Amino acid sequence: MREFPLEKGPFLKANNKTSKMMFHLLIALFPIIIFSFYKNGIIPYNKGVTDIKGLFLPLIVIIVPTLTSFVTEMIYAQFFLHVDALKYVKSSFSIFPGLFLGLIMPLNTPLSMLILGALVATLIGKMLFGGFGNNIFNPALVGRLFIITAYAITFGKYIYHNSYELDTITSATPLTNASVIEGIGSYDTLVKPYGNFSNFFVGMIPGSVGETSALLCLVAFIYLTITKTIKWRIPTFYILTVFIMSFIIGAFNDLERTYSLFQILSGGLMFGAVFMATDPVTSPTTPIGQVLYGLCLGLLTVIFRHLTPYPEGVLTSILTMNMLVFIIDKIGVKARFNYKKSIPYFAIIIILIVSLSCYIGLEYRKNNAVEIDSNYEIYSKTIENDTVTYMVGQKGYSSVLKAKIVIKNNKVITYEVLEQNDSYYSKVEDSNYIDQLIKNQDSLENFDTIAGATFTSNGLKKLLINTLNDYKNNKNEEIKGNIDINKDYEVLEKNNDGINYNYVVTHKSFSGTTKLSITISNYAITNITVLETNDSYYQKVVDNDYINYLINNQSNLENIDTITGATYTSNAIKQAVLKTIEEYKGDLNE
Amino acid sequence: MVTGLKLIGKKYMSLKNKVQEYLNPEYVYIPLVVGNDTNISVFVKKGDYVYKGSILGKKQGNFSIPILSSVSGTIIDFQEKYYLNGKKIKCIIIQNDFKELTENKINIKDDMNKFSKKDFIERLKDNGIIGMGGAGFPTYAKYDTDKTIKTLLVNAVECEPYITADYSLILEHAEQILECINTILKINKIKECYIAIKKNNSKLINTFNLYIGTYPNIKICEVKNIYPMGWEKNVVKEVLKKDYDKLPIEVGTIVNNVSTIYAIYEALKNNQPLIDRIITITGEGLQKPINIKVKIGTLVSEIIERFNKYKDNKDLLFVAGGPMMGTTIPTDDLVVTPNLNCVLVIPKPKISPSIECLRCGKCVKFCPAKLAPVLIKDNCNNIDILKTYEVNRCIECGLCSYICPSKINVREYVRLAKQNIGKVDK
Repeated sequence: MREFPLEKGPFLKANNKTSKMMFHLLIALFPIIIFSFYKNGIIPYNKGVTDIKGLFLPLIVIIVPTLTSFVTEMIYAQFFLHVDALKYVKSSFSIFPGLFLGLIMPLNTPLSMLILGALVATLIGKMLFGGFGNNIFNPALVGRLFIITAYAITFGKYIYHNSYELDTITSATPLTNASVIEGIGSYDTLVKPYGNFSNFFVGMIPGSVGETSALLCLVAFIYLTITKTIKWRIPTFYILTVFIMSFIIGAFNDLERTYSLFQILSGGLMFGAVFMATDPVTSPTTPIGQVLYGLCLGLLTVIFRHLTPYPEGVLTSILTMNMLVFIIDKIGVKARFNYKKSIPYFAIIIILIVSLSCYIGLEYRKNNAVEIDSNYEIYSKTIENDTVTYMVGQKGYSSVLKAKIVIKNNKVITYEVLEQNDSYYSKVEDSNYIDQLIKNQDSLENFDTIAGATFTSNGLKKLLINTLNDYKNNKNEEIKGNIDINKDYEVLEKNNDGINYNYVVTHKSFSGTTKLSITISNYAITNITVLETNDSYYQKVVDNDYINYLINNQSNLENIDTITGATYTSNAIKQAVLKTIEEYKGDLNE
Repeated sequence: MVTGLKLIGKKYMSLKNKVQEYLNPEYVYIPLVVGNDTNISVFVKKGDYVYKGSILGKKQGNFSIPILSSVSGTIIDFQEKYYLNGKKIKCIIIQNDFKELTENKINIKDDMNKFSKKDFIERLKDNGIIGMGGAGFPTYAKYDTDKTIKTLLVNAVECEPYITADYSLILEHAEQILECINTILKINKIKECYIAIKKNNSKLINTFNLYIGTYPNIKICEVKNIYPMGWEKNVVKEVLKKDYDKLPIEVGTIVNNVSTIYAIYEALKNNQPLIDRIITITGEGLQKPINIKVKIGTLVSEIIERFNKYKDNKDLLFVAGGPMMGTTIPTDDLVVTPNLNCVLVIPKPKISPSIECLRCGKCVKFCPAKLAPVLIKDNCNNIDILKTYEVNRCIECGLCSYICPSKINVREYVRLAKQNIGKVDK
């Protein structure tokens, strides 16, 4: 008889190891880091637009938070967990929160911000939950969310290197660009400013340090799937959902192929889907759960991109879904025994996907039809016989472009920029763009913008288009004669009881006259009532609750906005109220 | 789809040596157990003389079945020996008189085809035929059903690494196995039979093909070379594309291990009870891995001493069963039972320390019982959640522990969860 030790089986073990999986992840990230160095460092350096620091900036932005995470975790392990720090970090894969954080930040994020972000990512995102394997939220995204909220900075303001427009170095990311376009946009407005789709695919577009190359993300996805490192279902269904939803949205606006491609190739979607959404610790473990997770992520991303003011939605979607992983896994467990149990959930998600796509698509179509440009504003409009003089403004790249445009007999005769603070305006001046615009005023829609000053030149073009539209829409009613508020204002009645002063006034409005009753007590307007009006735009004033807006902002009346689309009418009311206050002051002095 | 994983077979080890026989041990130790049931009434006492095939005791309760002597000789004592589940079980020690005397019934050649279904069931019961794949469930009980049996599925998959007991048996007795299947089909009015064999075992397939021409109702079905392909549910799913909840008879199917079929052959043809079987004794810790035909009740220590010999390696593990589902036994005092198909002696594997679970989901992906081991592990003390996770479906195949990249022995957590659920149920 011979004795043997006891041990728990099984006695065969697969030779896969967590550390091996993490190594595969690093290998997959390597080309992305190299590409980032090439695109954000080498190209600008070779073109002479940046110095030696700028050459290595992309690497610095990646390495600094990586090291921060590593050191933070060592210190935390040594002094708070009281364990052997070296041994601890060996199995806790401490560099990843910082590494990923660096890759998803804009290039010129201040280093202090990166360090703080990595600290938060590691400490709050990971260690406070109990370290590797126990965190609920993706640590890198927690770090980025912290930076966004703590510094209250929108990333649109950051510099992104754009290889296509290298002479300008900086420009907005495609998604930021898309977010200021009214309606859905077109190939010309979405893609053309960045060259063509192959730039999107290769990654030669502005964006975060490591996020731009869809091609390298795809290569990484294939590599990680073959090596069985990531949960491939999540990125597949995530990207597919975004594609399908954008396709439907696009289909409502005759732009299905362009728009769906644009959506999946823009922003952090590819990188987020392949690397962030598949973070094993914070994603579902059940296969059906992973499919459901991917669908929900796609749905949320499309919602965030289209129905919130923020251009990007990947970060928010993943963090939101991180919270729901345990519920999704519960569904996943039940569905494995009986797939029918998951059908209601899939049905709900698919109905949401289809109906929301249709809703968003229709909304955009409406916007396209109405073509109200919220970035455009008419400050004043003076009509003299057959000549209309506009004082108008349009958002450019970094400021509002204010201009005087004179239109006579359907022809633009003057286009003069009075005020601007756009950094690229000089480019516009150099190329006589405004003269070109006046020359081509009949075919403005198809007129090219200036490469290297896309936003500014596009703004100037839009300014003219919008003004011409206003001219054409209002021409028939308007060109009757000069309307001057000062001249046409008249006090019909006034009475007071010592405290309350009541005025009944008339003033010339856009079309016809408006009769107002205004009550002022102790320097404060207490009531404004419109007694009579025959202005066709008056309904807009009511729709916008403009009268109450005036009362609520009476302390700053001179500077408050007029209503876009009823500028003249609302401005006339405002001016009438201002005149009445003058009248009241005069009465008090007597 | 059947879930599982391709494992390194290591089957060549025991196949390079010829099948041996050791049918005359001096003592046999017949354990008083059937499956995991030790509720056995004993009919003999110390000093009794027993014939080969004499009834020593009987499993009580449902599916009762006799326990038979594998040699003729004298009962000298009762003693506890290790059973394949790692527990010590009371055994009847019989001193072999090497006369192989029988109680007058063995070796009467029978015309196998004359049996009625009732006779057939009686024959199986009297000869103590139990499942030889591992569970040790009385075989007659499977056939003793009112439901229509549409298909007989003969399980020759033998998917666990190292084990080649069924393989050797088929090479030797393919003709008899086919003859027996044909008889079973006729007696039970079963229309068809599939023999499930892993597709890489072309040698077995060829062997069957030599004889199968005369049996149009028997078909070979090649199945994927994955583990645990041989699990009843998997093999039914793979061959018949059918799912069932608890027993294969729900889909009109009976599944028998190929060794069991051969035992049935011996019982029908020669009226010989289940008193011997082929087992694989293999592993890197032995000088000569072999398949060997031995008497039920033989001590494994004795076989290894005679045929295999340990290697001069101090740190060896002694495993009853295969490398995935087997159990370590503290000594080599293990008795051969009908459901013991393998003894594995391997160097003690290097223990790689487990690290925190990274929730990669591989254990979920590969679990053949469609469980979520990682979630069971997280909640192994939370009974309410465990109930919804249907922990008892676990067949303890060990794939979750095998695949875990963090080297966590996930199966142990699932076992703990099963125990916790079991406590509540009681």
